[in-house]
Amino acid sequence: MGLVTEKLPPMIEAFPGGPAVLTSIDAVINWARSNSLWPLTFGTSCCAIEVMMATGASNHDLARFGAEVARPSPRQADLLVIAGTIVKRMAPRLKTLYEQMAEPKYVIATGACAISGGPFIYESYSTIRGAHEIIPVDVYVPGCPPRPEAFFYGLLTLQKMIREGETIRKPGERRKPVLAALPPGITLEQIRAEMIQTLEQKAVVNLNG
Amino acid sequence: MDSAELQVVVGALHSSLTFREKSDRLSVVVPSDQLLSVAMKLRDSEPLSFDMLCAHTAIDWLKDEKIELIYQLYSTKHGHHLMMSVYVSRTEAVAVPSLHTVWQIAQWQEREVYDLFGICYSGHPDLRRILLEDDWKGFPLLKDYKDDFMLERPW
Ligand code: SF4
Repeated sequence: MGLVTEKLPPMIEAFPGGPAVLTSIDAVINWARSNSLWPLTFGTSCCAIEVMMATGASNHDLARFGAEVARPSPRQADLLVIAGTIVKRMAPRLKTLYEQMAEPKYVIATGACAISGGPFIYESYSTIRGAHEIIPVDVYVPGCPPRPEAFFYGLLTLQKMIREGETIRKPGERRKPVLAALPPGITLEQIRAEMIQTLEQKAVVNLNG
Repeated sequence: MDSAELQVVVGALHSSLTFREKSDRLSVVVPSDQLLSVAMKLRDSEPLSFDMLCAHTAIDWLKDEKIELIYQLYSTKHGHHLMMSVYVSRTEAVAVPSLHTVWQIAQWQEREVYDLFGICYSGHPDLRRILLEDDWKGFPLLKDYKDDFMLERPW
């Protein structure tokens, strides 16, 4: 990919119609990148159970989005999913892992711990308050832990960012980090109302039946 | 053995042992000067045979100025559990005997308790920090521990 992103733009830009060709190459490269995000297996606590195991298993099936090839080596991975609490002693290792990954690399921080320190934010002698203190994060997925669906929403957000984001004319330039929270168009009130409805349905028992 | 029978047998080991009421498994409080001999008997006497130290940890009771050391014992032979606690003073240095001669695994578990609570075990062959950096100051699981990195609770 280095050859394409570094050598190609100045060559093609000079031709008539060159920029249009570059834009199509961008689209193809970004499409390819976004659909083959290989995550690094990096789980440090409870979120890892949800994000690395539940999403990868057949019920939720991460393979649908082309991100199921979890790699144990940072050299082969594109996506670093920070799933869990980062403590002071882990932080230098996390940074090393991030630096060892080949460009382009993306980071998803899942769970309250990786966003802000979560339940351990106060009076903790060891917990780093947010993964952004160590490495740049592209997408945050809130939750403690986030449900697999929430993680998928984060992954899709990242894919969208990749498709719209980097161009081969400006490699390495990204959009600002985003928070993959509620899907657009759905409000908290709607979710609350739906939950109340389900709870009421489940809490009513018919004794005569 | 169930806990009522266990209580009779364990209680006969030494007169200074007391038992806690309201615990889900039998729980015995041992004075610190009797710890080593009681532990030895718990392991060696045939009807008890507590051959496994599952966990060793501590609680800092700040208000009572005490630290409670907790040993969770299990017998792989008879399948019964026992919780053994020892109270040591928080302020004066009291030597607690290391139990690594009784259960070897105690060596590492005591290193962990030393690392986080600062309990000094006498007779421990290698009392170093196990989890934290070697140059760490203080013992972070003590209730009154503070350092520059910590965020104070705003309420
Ligand atoms: S955010 Fe919650 S579930 Fe995730 S690692 Fe932290 S405490 Fe565990």
